[in-house]
Amino acid sequence: MGLPLAISDLQVHGDDRRPILRIEALEIPSGCRLGIRGPSGAGKSTLLMALAGLAPASSGTIFWGDTDLSQMSEAERARFRRRHVGMIFQDFLLFEELTALANASLAAAYADADRRKQIREGAAAMLDHLGLGAHASRSVASFSGGERQRVAIARALAADPPVLLADEPTASLDRASADRLIDDLAALAAQKGTTLVVVSHDPAMYARMDRVVGIVDGRLVE
Amino acid sequence: MMQMAEFMQDYWVGLSATSQDIARLVALLLPAMLVGIAATRRYRPFGMIGAMIWRFRWTNALFVALIAVSVGLGVGLIAQERGLRQGSAHAAAKFDLIVSAPGSEIEMLLAAVFLQPTDAPLIEGETYDRIAHHDNVVLAAPLAYGDSYRAAPVIGTTAGFVEHLSGTLAQGRPFSAHGEAVIGARVDLKLGDSFVPAHGHGDGADHDAHAGHGYTVVGRMARSGSPWDRAILVPVEAVWEVHGLASGHAPGHEEDIGPPFDPAYFPGTPAVLVRATALWANYALHSEFTTERTMAFFPGAVLARLHSLLGDVRQAMSVMAMLTQLLVTAGVLTGLVIVTRLYARRLALMRALGAPARFVFAVVWGYAAILIGIGSAIGVTIGFAATRIISAIVTARTDIDVHASLDWPEFHLVAGFVSLTLLLALLPAFAALRRPVIADLRT
Ligand SMILES: Nc1ncnc2c1ncn2[C@@H]1O[C@H](COP(=O)(O)OP(=O)(O)OP(=O)(O)O)[C@@H](O)[C@H]1O
Ligand SMILES: [Mg+2]
Repeated sequence: MGLPLAISDLQVHGDDRRPILRIEALEIPSGCRLGIRGPSGAGKSTLLMALAGLAPASSGTIFWGDTDLSQMSEAERARFRRRHVGMIFQDFLLFEELTALANASLAAAYADADRRKQIREGAAAMLDHLGLGAHASRSVASFSGGERQRVAIARALAADPPVLLADEPTASLDRASADRLIDDLAALAAQKGTTLVVVSHDPAMYARMDRVVGIVDGRLVE
Repeated sequence: MMQMAEFMQDYWVGLSATSQDIARLVALLLPAMLVGIAATRRYRPFGMIGAMIWRFRWTNALFVALIAVSVGLGVGLIAQERGLRQGSAHAAAKFDLIVSAPGSEIEMLLAAVFLQPTDAPLIEGETYDRIAHHDNVVLAAPLAYGDSYRAAPVIGTTAGFVEHLSGTLAQGRPFSAHGEAVIGARVDLKLGDSFVPAHGHGDGADHDAHAGHGYTVVGRMARSGSPWDRAILVPVEAVWEVHGLASGHAPGHEEDIGPPFDPAYFPGTPAVLVRATALWANYALHSEFTTERTMAFFPGAVLARLHSLLGDVRQAMSVMAMLTQLLVTAGVLTGLVIVTRLYARRLALMRALGAPARFVFAVVWGYAAILIGIGSAIGVTIGFAATRIISAIVTARTDIDVHASLDWPEFHLVAGFVSLTLLLALLPAFAALRRPVIADLRT
């Protein structure tokens, strides 16, 4: 099950105190697949970071369900991510020295003891599901871009989080890999009821979303 | 409070030496262990640490090597000094008290106990007689140096001294006639071999001076771990005789060997080894024979003075080893900071995924701890191996048995080093936590 998102009067400022993001209101229901588009430098990644509690809001609120990220300490936000958020980045960010399974079950290293097993099993199942089951114990250093990104998806979903945030997940993939990834992502989110927020430049991605919003100069445009 | 302190003091003093050493070791390691437990509790950071070590394996190997060399230096220094000290003390253990003509105690010690060639003045028959007939003296063995056979010094003494030095012989029997000799355990001769000694030692030796005055080997002493293992012991009368001196005995008794000697026919001896009836008597004899014409000294005490000098040298070298260790520590910590920076993106990733700050801290600190731990362990091995090699060389060169061993002081040193560097490694670990997650993700 996913979580509903409700943003109101959100402002994020840069280190130079320049406003980067200003969103009056954005609400999406639980399990919604939201696409975000916009020109480079518009503030898309910043929004995603704010949704993960990584870019602190200077004002406004970000509610995931009943949880207001803007009221939480850094440690509490880390805990929220650990429990509720999966993240995928444009350039995978895997540990080259580790196997696919070790990468996918990374969270088990710091999860509470009662969740470790579940995460490891979830990671293995997810790799299987993404067609990498046979390569689970191979070092990711030898993986192709598409395979790496699928390991990153497995890592993001291993703990079965209600929220999945992805920042340009197909940007460094070729068309075929990108299409396959979009299918996987959309299908998995639909199957688990995950609330999915994807930043993307890819029209093929928008087609699989329930809703697409644009961001220009830090402001929301439909 | 005072009572508590007193109780603790009493308790500490009441502990056995080993318990104290263990307690010290634990106390030295405790801060680092507590940090380690506090940092890693409930987490499994070792996979990440392994990845980090593997990623920078060559740099890490260099760090480990640096730590190992600096730790090895410290360990080797302490172990070597102790080995030399114990080896030389053991070699001198049988020499309770030596009486010689006045001069340098250290020179006499080197000559009488460690068999280094010297030209010592002699003490004459009357003095010897007084020593030999003293109530508290059990053994008064003259030691006459000057001859050699190949590399082995030939020393004139009494059968009583042979027995004192070796106890039961390893082979054969003590000498009982002029032409007989007992050899040290490592002399390259066999029972029944005959040889003619040279006058003097080494290159300056005169090989023909004693032609016609040969010896036959009749016994071999047990190994003593001292230069005496290379010595050949012969009746002192024979040494006097080949040098054209009196025989030590009245006319008509020239063929006698061993005490009593006749003071009137006693040619003199550079040193007398004295064994007293009891320990206390040594001190009485020491003061009694410290006169204008004689010098009495305890080889053990002179050695102890040399050892304290050796200790001072070690201390000075320890300071240098410590400085090396400090420099290495500073270098390695700087390296850790840099490596951690290189790893900043992965650390930021973990935090972005929701890893607690303490987990990231545990990864960085654990990484440092493992490098330091491995480096120190290898360092102890290197130090010990170096000590073994050096000890073997020293033993081969001097015949003083130098044993390489590892003991508490080395472990305390290493524990102190490990603890200190692990505490210092908190700095890069904290520094890693203060880095901005989003900015590091973007790099
Ligand atoms: N910490 C910061 N301090 C100052 N400015 C920042 C900071 N973070 C981001 N910015 C600026 O805010 C703007 C939005 O950045 P962001 O990364 O969100 O853009 P984006 O929409 O993701 O662009 P792209 O499509 O190129 O990834 C950019 O102009 C960026 O330079
Ligand atoms: Mg971006």
